[in-house]
Amino acid sequence: MTKVLLIDDEESIVRVLFISLKSDGYDVLTAYTGEDGIRLFQKETPDIVLTDIKMPGMNGIEVLKAVKESNPDAEVIVITGHGDMDSAIEALQHGASDFINKPIRDDILALSLQRAQEKLAVKRKLKEYTDDLENMVQIATEEIRRKSEFLNKLITSSHDGIVATAENGEIVIFNPAAEEIFGYSRIEVLRKKTLFDLYPPDIAEHFRRALSQERGPKPMNWQEVTIQRKDGISIPTGFSGTLLLEGELVIGTVGFFQDLREIKRLEENLIRSERLAAIGQTVAGLAHYIKNILSGLKGGTYTVNVGLDKQDMIKLKKGWDIIQQNVSRISTLVMELLTYSKDREPEYEKCSPNKIVEDVCALMEATANEHGIEFIRDLDHSIGEGMMDPNTLHRSLLNLVSNAIDACIFDLGSEKRWQISVKTSLKDNAILQCDVTDNGCGMSEETKKNIFSSFFSTKAGRGTGLGLLVSRKLVNEHGGDIVFTSEEGKGSTFTIRLPWKGSRA
Amino acid sequence: MAKKVLCVDDDPAVVVAMETVVEESGYTPLTAPNGEEGLRKVRAEKPDLVILDVLMPKQSGIKMYRELKTDQELKQIPVVIHSGIARRTFLRSQEALTEFGDEPVAEPEEYLEKPVEPEEIAETLKRILG
Repeated sequence: MTKVLLIDDEESIVRVLFISLKSDGYDVLTAYTGEDGIRLFQKETPDIVLTDIKMPGMNGIEVLKAVKESNPDAEVIVITGHGDMDSAIEALQHGASDFINKPIRDDILALSLQRAQEKLAVKRKLKEYTDDLENMVQIATEEIRRKSEFLNKLITSSHDGIVATAENGEIVIFNPAAEEIFGYSRIEVLRKKTLFDLYPPDIAEHFRRALSQERGPKPMNWQEVTIQRKDGISIPTGFSGTLLLEGELVIGTVGFFQDLREIKRLEENLIRSERLAAIGQTVAGLAHYIKNILSGLKGGTYTVNVGLDKQDMIKLKKGWDIIQQNVSRISTLVMELLTYSKDREPEYEKCSPNKIVEDVCALMEATANEHGIEFIRDLDHSIGEGMMDPNTLHRSLLNLVSNAIDACIFDLGSEKRWQISVKTSLKDNAILQCDVTDNGCGMSEETKKNIFSSFFSTKAGRGTGLGLLVSRKLVNEHGGDIVFTSEEGKGSTFTIRLPWKGSRA
Repeated sequence: MAKKVLCVDDDPAVVVAMETVVEESGYTPLTAPNGEEGLRKVRAEKPDLVILDVLMPKQSGIKMYRELKTDQELKQIPVVIHSGIARRTFLRSQEALTEFGDEPVAEPEEYLEKPVEPEEIAETLKRILG
């Protein structure tokens, strides 16, 4: 119910209006002086004040001022004497919502009160809206704060170091992971250092160039970068970074640094355990090979003993041969193991590759012929002398030729006329090439995959499984490589390629 | 006539030693450097016992063993395996072949893992051939 305060020094008017307003449904308070009216106003806080202008003591204008001072939202309607326009205007100037003339007509009063009430309603609505708006602003502010805190937490809890800078390179974000990687605290860096102070020179340079160009951002793809920490320790990291843009405008940079120390450690462990596994395999392969040699030695000594007992020179000779063969197998194995396990620098000297090839062919030709294999030399006689390690070519070629002979021997049940050809040539006067081609048994896909694995052998107990591995190692150490092609049942070609610095003959 | 013993091994040293052991034990030695050759000799000479290496080039030892143990005419010839691989590994390889659809084969009369003392081979020959 709307509360109306009625102030007038004329009792009769107050009484009449009281009844009339009451019957219109207002909650009516009354006072006969301005002073009483104000007291009552402050106590009861009515919505509308209806006051006479002319009153002894505090007049209506003063009441109006006091009311407005106490509550600017209260509506004041002044009652003026007939024709007192000046007072009416003054009242309006001081914020009265309306004035009515004496004698007071009920309908005019009702209208005025209605208008006052409407104004009050509008004001209330306005206040509600304003409050609402403030509320919404507060909620939005809270939301923004939460979001920014969320982003902040995100950056702070990242396991990767995150470093963001303004467009001049000045660091503005430096998360704990970055502190750990760079060894600086946030306090030491924020707004005090630039990326040029902290980043490795090449990355700093990349950003410097990117920031000075205006041709859009060039993200730096993931790369391994070593960070020099404040305390001098080198930290391996995986780095990626980019320019930050707002539309077309460069507003800064960001760099992500992934600490790779743990990964590196795991990698090293893995390599170590792989090496241990390889040693285990090596030992098993070695034991198997030695078992075969031992078996040969036992058979040899047994045969020798039998020969001695019976004075049988033929037996004695056979047994002795077996022992010698197996002794030489041991020495081959030991030599190959040594070559395989030790790094070796080639010993360069002036020599002729064709001569080395001839030597190897001479060594192997008898064995080849024994097994009905034809031996073909196809040498480029324009190749003169050059600086190389003769041992490298000799040993690797010997290995390839003896493999080729085995490939023919193992080519069981075929009616082929076996051939082995050894060919030398120069490629662009820069690469010495030596091909060993056989038309023996060739290799299966499985075998091709494994030929460079240690102790892999298709020769059962007769091969150490190290020959090719050792050859490749020697050739690699000489800056060259060994390549091959092979077809099962048709034969294989192995090629030694070595860098050539030499003359033509 | 002395009983015949065929030695199949790709290692010439082993073949020579075996020959000697067989001779010393009073039997006639025959030799072959691989499975294919071995099978030819078995069919031609009908030996009383075969000493066989399993690990030879092109799996000829494993193939020859299967042939010996599945051929009706050769089945009863005793086979002594003489190999660098463990007995367990050999039996597993035979089982694997069986799983691939081949018929199961009998185990060898004796399995000798290299290195073997020549005396042990001599004893084995005596035990089986008498």
